[in-house]
This record gives sequence, C-alpha cells and structure tokens, in this order.
Amino acid sequence: MTTLYRTFLATQVTKGRLAGLGALGALAVLLGVAVGAGDRTDPVTGGIGLVSSYGLALFVPVTTLVFASAVLGEPNEDGTLVYLWLRPVARWRLVAVAVAAALTVALPLVVLPMTLAAAATGAGAGLVVATLVATSLATLAYAGVFTWLGLRARRALLWGLAYILVWEGFVARAGGTASLLAIRAHARSLLARLADGPPDLVEVSLATSIAVPLAAATVALALTVRRLSHQDVQ
Amino acid sequence: MIEVSHISKWFGDVVAVSDVSFAVGPGVTALLGPNGAGKSTVLRLLCGLTRPSQGTVRVFGADPRHDPARFRRLGLVPQQEALFEGIRARDFVTLAAELHGLEGAGAAAARALREVDLDPDDSRSLATYSKGMRQRVKVAQALVHDPELLVLDEPLDGLDPRQRLHLIALFRRLGKEGRGVLVSSHVLDEVERFGSRVLVMAQGRLAAEGDFHAIRELMDNRPHRLRVRTDRPHALGSALLASATVVGVWVAAPDEVVVDTLDVAGFRLAVAPAACAAGARLLELVPLDDDLESVFRYLVGAGSRNGR
Repeated sequence: MTTLYRTFLATQVTKGRLAGLGALGALAVLLGVAVGAGDRTDPVTGGIGLVSSYGLALFVPVTTLVFASAVLGEPNEDGTLVYLWLRPVARWRLVAVAVAAALTVALPLVVLPMTLAAAATGAGAGLVVATLVATSLATLAYAGVFTWLGLRARRALLWGLAYILVWEGFVARAGGTASLLAIRAHARSLLARLADGPPDLVEVSLATSIAVPLAAATVALALTVRRLSHQDVQ
Repeated sequence: MIEVSHISKWFGDVVAVSDVSFAVGPGVTALLGPNGAGKSTVLRLLCGLTRPSQGTVRVFGADPRHDPARFRRLGLVPQQEALFEGIRARDFVTLAAELHGLEGAGAAAARALREVDLDPDDSRSLATYSKGMRQRVKVAQALVHDPELLVLDEPLDGLDPRQRLHLIALFRRLGKEGRGVLVSSHVLDEVERFGSRVLVMAQGRLAAEGDFHAIRELMDNRPHRLRVRTDRPHALGSALLASATVVGVWVAAPDEVVVDTLDVAGFRLAVAPAACAAGARLLELVPLDDDLESVFRYLVGAGSRNGR
C-alpha cells in the first residue's frame, strides 16, 4: 500500500494548493502576532476568538476540504479510479489509505500554523495545547466527511464550501439541535474547555465534544466504503 | 471465461446496450463496431464497473461486481486516456502490481513495461507521455499480474504502425497461450489482423458473431448503393436494368439515379456501356454506403432478418 499512499500524495499535492493554503497558514500566524500585540487584558479570550473564528471556522475546514474531497473525488471524475477499483483489494483499505494521505497533507498545513498562531497570542500553554487538540480533531472529522463528499458529488469543492459557510457558519450558529450536528461547534466547545476560556455557544461535555467529531468521521468513512463498493466506475 | 446473457443497459432514456448475449473463452475475441455502438459499455459491464439494467454477466462463474478477489484474474485497458499524471510509468505499473499483491512488484512492473516496448527506467512523469506511450502503459498495468482474462478497450488507438504490430502480436501470443483476450475496435482491418473470432456490435445490439472471414464475407456480399449523376436519368436507369447488374433503380432527382447492386465490380464495368447505349452523359458516380457505419447497419438488419 505504500505506492498507493505515495500516489495519492503525488496527485493531491500541487504547487498551487500548497502556495494558496500555505498563505492562509501564514496569515493565521500574522493574526496571532497581531492579537498578541493588542489588548493584553484577556489574552485567552482573544486567542480563543482567533483560533475559533479564523482557524475552526475557515482555515481548517477549507484546507481539509481541498485535499480530502480531491483524494478520491478527482480519480472518480477523471476516470483513473478504475486503476484502483479493479484490483483485489478490500474497499476499506483503499479508503483508509486515501484518508491517511489527505490527512498527511492537511494536518501539518493547518495544525502547525494554528498552533504557532495560538502561541503568538501569548495566551499560554493551555491555549496552545487546546488548539493542537481541537484543530487536529476537526481536521480528522472533516477529512472523513469531505472524502465521502468527494466521491459522492460532482463539484465537491462547491458543495463543501456551501456546507462550511451555510450549515456550519450560519444554520448551526443559531444553536439548538443544528449546532450539535456541526463539527465546528464541537471543536469550538473542546477548544474553550481545554483552554479554560468562556463557555462556547454549544455547551457539551468534554467527552461529547471529542466523541461527536470522531463519530462523524467514522460514519462518513463507512459511507465512503459503501459508496466505493456500490457505485459505477468510469 | 465470460458468459453474458441477455444484458441490456440504459442510461435514462438512452439505451446503450440492448439484449446482448455471448460467451468468450480462451483465445482472442474481437468486439467490432462503430463508435457509439455500445462496445465500451459492454466491456464495463463485463468488468463489473457498472451493473446491467437487465440480464446477467458471469466472469469466471460469478458476478464480477460481488467479489473483488476475482479481479486477480482480470486485466483491463480502459478507454479513457487519464492516468495518474504526476508519477512515472514504472510507479504506475508498480502500483497495479502491488494492489494485486505481487511479490517483487517493481520487477514485475519493469517486465510488463518492457513487454510493451517501454523503458522501465524512464524518469519522466506520465504527464509528458504521448498518446501511444500512454496506451502502452495502460496495457502494461493490465498485464503486470499475468491475468487469465484481458479486456482491452480500443488498445491500438493512437499507436503508430510499428507499435500496432507489436501489440497485435502480443495479444495473439497471449491468446495462443490460453488466455482470454477480448479486444474492442472500430477498425475492420485492425480486427482482421487479430485473426480471431469476432463479435460485431451496432446500435447497442450484437449484429453478428463468428469467424472473422465469415463476417467479412457477409459484409462484402451485402447490396451496395450508388448514386449516378447524369443528364438522362430515366434512360440510363432503363439501360442499367437491362444490363442485369443492378437489383434496384430509381430516379432520385432530375439529374440523379440511385442503384442497388450486389456486384459493384460488374456494375462499374456495365455503367459506361449502358450510358452510351442510352445516349446519356455520366457526370458522377458515388458510393452511398461504403462507410463502416452502413456496413454495421446492414449487419444489424441481417441479424434481425436471421432472427438474432
């Protein structure tokens, strides 16, 4: 499976994607520096605000969307999926390697700059650790969901952006049941709890804020395996 | 190896394949038909890439969609040109070998690439390859695990004559070794070189099947239609009927007569004397159905007439 993993990496990682998303990461660090240099009365709240409203709301989901939706979605659309599908390999293995490749690229691209940004705010180790955990968990959950979306829908990038902006950014912010079904809400809740910040919009237990994103990833991966097993291939 | 029973496949209102049945065993079998005849859809059905809307497909005795383990015995060269562009040919074929669980996947990939006359040590990425090279890479990835059944969708497309000969010889050799080789083509002369059993598809149906030479004879013996432009169509038509080289004549326009003949060579010899006898000037003589499409249309009609 090492050649498959390397192939997924080679097909996903393009200079354009790295440059664009790397710039968003650099912007995160700059914002962290700006927050750290600003009002110092409550650096934790300022730091959580940055990680939450820039990292978890935009940078983490968009970066993960770009790679996860492409990892199986692009082969599915350009017809190269047949070279993976028509092999005596369990479908879950193909999906597992694909997601591992997407995470290999997406995790360092989002977690590293967001952790640096959290450190730059000067809010302390608590926020740094909380950022590390919350962004990693969110990336994992989004990777599952967007890998499925890439296989399920044409123009997955647009559908994914619509999901991020409309569902997670608008509907789920209204609170109530909808917010319980948003990865971002749980990641924000986790961030606030671990960083000892003010309670977030959704107050759920620590266990719930970890379990729900993990469950979302698991269900999405199961759907991806099912989709790959049953769909037509070009 | 392959048993196809009354399969049909439709996409919305479009019927791509209609009630097709055939069996394929060891040796080379050619699937011949014009573009859009449904050949690629049939090959996709055989490989389990899509489900039939109706009917059954059995490959090695089982539904190809249900058991990925059976893909170990199958190699496919798909029609689409896309490959994983950022990697080398050797990596692409090694990937296929690894996914088939081969020990020494790299060495197997090198052998398969040499088999199709490509350099395994070429360091360029697939994005730089010509169409002919890409076709050969596709063949190499299908061969790398030494499958019992090879399904090839237009594998000679884009190859130069030398490469064509090389691959045709390769397919014939594999067939002689007892492997099943099912290869599609829309080029009659190409199929002739396979020296094989032929399945002819047209308009989504199986129009004919059997030995190539019998099919070729059937194609050559069909009525041919020609248009003759002349200044005296009625007189020329009468003269041609009298010459007994035509089976049908009608005046299609004030300066045009259309004829059906079973003997094109005899008709060509008879047309000038007939024009002289009728006092008509011959302005133009054009075959109306010499393209492959009309040959296939004829075969579909013949198939219907023979109750296929």
